[in-house]
Amino acid sequence: MAHATQVGLQDATSPIMEELIIFHDHALMIIFLICFLVLYALFLTLTTKLTNTSISDAQEMETVWTILPAIILVLIALPSLRILYMTDEVNDPSFTIKSIGHQWYWTYEYTDYGGLIFNSYMLPPLFLEPGDLRLLDVDNRVVLPVEAPVRMMITSQDVLHSWAVPTLGLKTDAIPGRLNQTTFTATRPGVYYGQCSEICGANHSFMPIVLELIPLKIFEMGPVFTL
Amino acid sequence: MAAAPEPGEPEERKASCTSLHLSYWKSLKLLGFLDVENTPCARHSILYGSLGSVVAGFGHFLFTSRIRRSCDVGVGGFILVTLGCWFHCRYNYAKQRIQERIAREEIKKKILYEGTHLDPERKHNGSSSN
Repeated sequence: MAHATQVGLQDATSPIMEELIIFHDHALMIIFLICFLVLYALFLTLTTKLTNTSISDAQEMETVWTILPAIILVLIALPSLRILYMTDEVNDPSFTIKSIGHQWYWTYEYTDYGGLIFNSYMLPPLFLEPGDLRLLDVDNRVVLPVEAPVRMMITSQDVLHSWAVPTLGLKTDAIPGRLNQTTFTATRPGVYYGQCSEICGANHSFMPIVLELIPLKIFEMGPVFTL
Repeated sequence: MAAAPEPGEPEERKASCTSLHLSYWKSLKLLGFLDVENTPCARHSILYGSLGSVVAGFGHFLFTSRIRRSCDVGVGGFILVTLGCWFHCRYNYAKQRIQERIAREEIKKKILYEGTHLDPERKHNGSSSN
């Protein structure tokens, strides 16, 4: 989860998120250099004593400031498109879970190996134990195996919601009447938090998502199905 | 239930809280957003860019004695050298990551299949002896 005052991305828990962080660093360096150039131009504009009224054309400068931004855009677009197509790859998921958004909780269905269906409500502040996270912890977490490709089918029963887990690089809209699919492979065990990312009413901020990623051996023993 | 604090404890807690706050603010962010410390290759690129900027700008001034144009050359040198170092370092970083991933997968395979008919070393030794 994010710590207080965090502005940057969370550490990656999936290969896609690792690629996204790398791309983010790349884009940020280009942005930094452009900002540096613009600040320098601003500084020159503010400190110049010259008033030049005889310039009529500047073909070379206009050529440079047309071609250079085009090159910069290509340098940003190519890795961006690479990651875009990477996120659309479906790599034979071994597990499918349905996630249904409601006002204001999530329902998860594990129907591959049994008919487990449960709701996931945010823990109200009065029910928090010491160490629990306010506005993030839920009563029933989504338990998933590590290093196994998982497919999430996301939809909604009422209004628009969005199922998001930043550390996995996931954000998929839950649209009533539509089934959206996203796949991911987690690379390390742990508890990962997300929050609803599409305004859906009064308690939009109070329907978090919590994934508990456990080793495959332990997952196969069936702790999920002992509810 | 929390134990009553010992005489030394509040100061230690204060010190740990302070170090926690300091750790949040320790990272250097250029222009407020580029985290130089935690971004791979950023520190390396910015340092070499600064060096290139100083060399280019000062060198231009030594030859031409034009201050303003030398500053422009310095800024241009900073941008070009930073970009060049950045791409070079990121390319090597990407190659290193690929090698690390291959090594990790091979180690996992070796642990899983050692001693079985799927052991990659056994296959390799068998083919080389044939």
